[in-house]
Amino acid sequence: MSTVMKTTRDVKGVGLSIPRPDGPEKVTGKVQYVADIQPKGLLHAQLLRSPHAHARIKRIDTSRAKELAGVRAVLTAADMPYLKKKAPTRAHAVLAIDRVVFAGQPVAAVAADELAIAEEALDLIDVEYEVLAAAVDPLESMKPGAPPVAEAGTEADTSEAQAHGSVSGVAAVAKPAKAVNISQQTTLARGDVAKGLAESDVVIEKTYRVPMVHQGYLEPHAVLAQWDTTGQLTLWASTQGSFNTRSEVADVLEIAENRIKVIPVECGGGFGGKIRALCEPVTAELARVTGRPVRYVMTRREELVAGMPAPQVIIKLKTGVQRDGTLMALDGEIIIESGAFSGAVLAVGAVFLASLYKWPAFEVRGFEVLTHKPSIAAYRAPVAPHTIYAIDSHMDQIADAIGQDPVAFRLRHVEREGEPMANNQPWASNAAYEVLERLAQHPSWKKRDEWKKSAPAGRLRGTGLSLGGWLGGLQPTSATVRLNPDGSLSVLTGQVDIAGTNIALAQIAATAYGVDIDRVKITTGDTDVAPMTGLSAGSKTVYTVGTAVLQAAQDARRQTLEIAAKELEAAVQDLEIEDGKVVVRGVPDKGVTIASIGKKGNLYMSKVPPVLGVANPAFTQQAPAFAGQLARIELDPDTGEVTLHEFVVAQDVGKAINPLACEGQMQGGAVQSLGIALTEGLMYDDKGRLMNPSLLDYRKLTAADLPNIECIIVEKPSPAGPFGARGVGEPPIVPAPAAIANAIEDAAGVRLTELPMTPERIALAIAAR
Amino acid sequence: MRRFELVTPGSVDDCLSALKGRGVEVKVLAGGTDLIAQLKVGMLKVAAVVDLSGVAELRVLEGDARRGFRIGAAVTARTLERDAKLRAALPSLSESGALVGSIQIRNLATLGGNICNAAPSADMAPPLLALDAEAVIAGAGGRRRVPMASFFKGVRQTVLGPDELLVEFAVPATGPKSGGAYLRHTPRRELDIAVVGVASQVSLADGVCTKVRIALAAVAPVPVRATAAEQALEGQPLTSQAIARAADLAVEAARPISDQRGSAEFRRHLVRILTRRTLTIALERATA
Amino acid sequence: MAKQVLSFTVNGEPVEALVQPYVTLLDALREDLGLTGPKEGCGTGDCGACSVHLDGKLVASCLVLAMQARGRSVTTIEGLARGGALTPVQDAFVRHGVPQCGFCIPGVLMAAAALLAENAEPSEDDIRYAIAGNLCRCTGYTKMVEAISEAAGTARNRGSARGA
Repeated sequence: MSTVMKTTRDVKGVGLSIPRPDGPEKVTGKVQYVADIQPKGLLHAQLLRSPHAHARIKRIDTSRAKELAGVRAVLTAADMPYLKKKAPTRAHAVLAIDRVVFAGQPVAAVAADELAIAEEALDLIDVEYEVLAAAVDPLESMKPGAPPVAEAGTEADTSEAQAHGSVSGVAAVAKPAKAVNISQQTTLARGDVAKGLAESDVVIEKTYRVPMVHQGYLEPHAVLAQWDTTGQLTLWASTQGSFNTRSEVADVLEIAENRIKVIPVECGGGFGGKIRALCEPVTAELARVTGRPVRYVMTRREELVAGMPAPQVIIKLKTGVQRDGTLMALDGEIIIESGAFSGAVLAVGAVFLASLYKWPAFEVRGFEVLTHKPSIAAYRAPVAPHTIYAIDSHMDQIADAIGQDPVAFRLRHVEREGEPMANNQPWASNAAYEVLERLAQHPSWKKRDEWKKSAPAGRLRGTGLSLGGWLGGLQPTSATVRLNPDGSLSVLTGQVDIAGTNIALAQIAATAYGVDIDRVKITTGDTDVAPMTGLSAGSKTVYTVGTAVLQAAQDARRQTLEIAAKELEAAVQDLEIEDGKVVVRGVPDKGVTIASIGKKGNLYMSKVPPVLGVANPAFTQQAPAFAGQLARIELDPDTGEVTLHEFVVAQDVGKAINPLACEGQMQGGAVQSLGIALTEGLMYDDKGRLMNPSLLDYRKLTAADLPNIECIIVEKPSPAGPFGARGVGEPPIVPAPAAIANAIEDAAGVRLTELPMTPERIALAIAAR
Repeated sequence: MRRFELVTPGSVDDCLSALKGRGVEVKVLAGGTDLIAQLKVGMLKVAAVVDLSGVAELRVLEGDARRGFRIGAAVTARTLERDAKLRAALPSLSESGALVGSIQIRNLATLGGNICNAAPSADMAPPLLALDAEAVIAGAGGRRRVPMASFFKGVRQTVLGPDELLVEFAVPATGPKSGGAYLRHTPRRELDIAVVGVASQVSLADGVCTKVRIALAAVAPVPVRATAAEQALEGQPLTSQAIARAADLAVEAARPISDQRGSAEFRRHLVRILTRRTLTIALERATA
Repeated sequence: MAKQVLSFTVNGEPVEALVQPYVTLLDALREDLGLTGPKEGCGTGDCGACSVHLDGKLVASCLVLAMQARGRSVTTIEGLARGGALTPVQDAFVRHGVPQCGFCIPGVLMAAAALLAENAEPSEDDIRYAIAGNLCRCTGYTKMVEAISEAAGTARNRGSARGA
């Protein structure tokens, strides 16, 4: 994954819309993903998965499978003595030991010469289950007496929250002993809510539901594992963070981290679903016992049945306001269904619910609930789309109830920099206000009355908007910048480039060092060679790795100038880098090329050290980023079909390092947000089995369902980000559900409080009006 | 996909020989868009597959509005969608072809495959029912013709015997002043499967409806005709009131279930809406 | 089970391969012929990542058995650009910054090429329907549509949309 930047433009770096340099590789099909790698002697893996959501395993007999010609290994938990019953994460629960806790949980693993043989071997494994009652509905699962999901004494897993830039100051509440499936609980409160509600003129109470949704990356999970004769493991993985994968696999397999090399192969999308290890440990184990390279690629059905989707979230929200629009009190309950293993970003949801607008009194109770379903993971701004769907649907209804303009109402109450969030941490610099103001200037918002009146016979038209955002993730990271003997630069990180972040990092390096972008090559190294680098997640690559690259480039520049200063007998502060030369300011003919400095760093008997810029920053200051979205829709009240005529995203990116890449994030995130709003949802029957395990019935939006997504880039520099940049990836997935719900209400006068807002839900709501 | 043998016959007779005596362990492969998908997810397990792609006879497409059509079982959805004569003469069938899957599916999926898969939601079934088409079936004893109205026996069950092969469809002439339409509801515009599909075909003479067929998909174990609605219209002028009344009657022919694609309540609602709309379009086309 | 001889044309070249009767065209292309441009995103024809041209028609190669391609002609993403130069639509994808994760891109380009081969002046709607069988999770499709639209214009100006 290394690339040389090329441009014909007359520039340095930051602020340019430069296409990512691996574009030609991608449009010719030459880029290699894990499933494209085919070493000699390759074996194919398959997993036998439980058909039951909750069952005791009474007996497993693999003998018939082992006898099938072409089968090289059949594993069960009995073959892996290091597996423990109180598995804290999915990765640790490699194969079920004596109990399965969701339908689709792996029970046995096979490696065979051919995929078809491995599949047939699965048919020959006999498992005797004793089916147990399953906790399928989170509201039921919260109650005392529900069938227990985790083994008693299993610790709650909060590492996901940490990865995503959690919030401080939220106290965990001791959970009730009898409610065995409540794995985390928090409460946030300020002021007197009961009094506030009692003194309100208008009280609105609604319950909002968002089902589990799948991240939907096009490349299913894939891993290739191979051991060498000295006991070193190499993993070619489709991961959002090779160092995280290494740590998790080492922990599960109980081997030292430096015995594992994770090679981050091109990742065909992750969106939070490829942060945590999933099938890496079992593939590694199959490779160990067979002594052969083993490849495991999940099928799409397995992805949907047993991936790590986003949680179901149920939000009960009650608010009170005065008739003049004064906010009085908010009472909320947020229930996050995490499936069979803990791991929700509970506090973030609770904080967002009460922090976006200035509620003088509030109480938000948060619960993470376990059920017998696949455990969850992040999906681009985890829990934010859910929370904003609730609060921003509510804000529109309140404005409507008191006859106020919905934008003016929000602008009056939106929290500003320095004001306390619900956890009493002050809001960092952000552009929530400016983004909303900018969106409200859009002609489609100003002309919403005309749009509504223009509906053809038998159709309804409406406009809606919403504001949402993300607090911004943080993770320590590192980078190096080397000066080569020809004066070019080599940047090295372990950053997995999915969205095109490497070009942005190279742009930062070019500008910070003082060369043109085509003199910079950036490489994503494996875990053996790259400096420790964090996840590609949490909207933090440019914000944190960009800072590391910036500082490493500045370090390399400083070293370069110090070497030049000696040669030129000038002071460092009088030097500049121009056109590949270090020159004394004001004396343009007195200079030395950076190539000559680079050359001396690798010259036999030279006394000049090689230029090696290094940075390894850690971070404390988050940079919240906001997006506003506007939808102009037409709907068929008979069938409930919604046609999106326009969709606008206005987003604060701090500083657009690469505007083209920013737009790509805004457009892609918006369409994911629209999918959550309109068509997507994992549907389970009352036995906890997935009813829609295909991309025919799990409906991601197609090009034919969408208009062009219009982008408005807002730039309010962040105080600490490189060149003022903020995270870009997550905000655009947040606002669409509320924007669409608001547009539907504008068009048809019905309020939808459950996602997805399918034609069925819309048509039946209109019919019942 | 688990292992199987592949047989590649060059004629209908070769197909019949390959099928003979092997029962359910052999499956016929036309476009593959249902069969291969079902084999992959383990819904079906077979010993052998008979590939029809080498049997040219199954791709016959001939006829016109005056004489009726012969449409081979292996004619693709994409051909139904794009063939100019079919589009003009049998718009409901053409529309059903145009709605299946996506282009990469429609270039593979066949009319015969859609019908033999016998899903309640099969898009091409309502138009064939509404057009009074017959299935031509080859077997050891020669060929037999089965009206579409009696072709389906249940969910994924048809009148086809294990040794038989569906060869083509005979679609009778629709006559002058006849028009048809097929509409379905799906949450997405492409790449989706019918929540409800409705085909209507009307024939007019002297301002009254002389013949009407209304057929429904995805509201019963098999695609069904809404006969009470048909009878209410025959001999009547097709006023908007008459159409609305027929749409109400069509709902009574539906025995929908609730599943991941829609509730029974919504399906009944859609039958009313789509019956009204297809009758209206069919009427326009009949008078055009 | 014995492998069978598959003789067909791949990207303009006659090819013979020994394949199992139960493998798909997608797997044969990827595993036996090393053409890993077509991807498996779902295996059931619902995502379009495996799209190739079979006798000039866009198909989901994950639903075609390899042996069904006997005697026929297959074009994959690897055969789109002949002689090293990108086609106008590939070039437009690069310049518009379309690819992000890139996994869907080969399939989308095959769909776009099939469209431009038969419709030199596609409308935005034509383009959206032509690539509706190709799911993309990164881009939101906007830049794809813009790139295909621009490429159609480029190809038209050269007097032919073939191979665009």
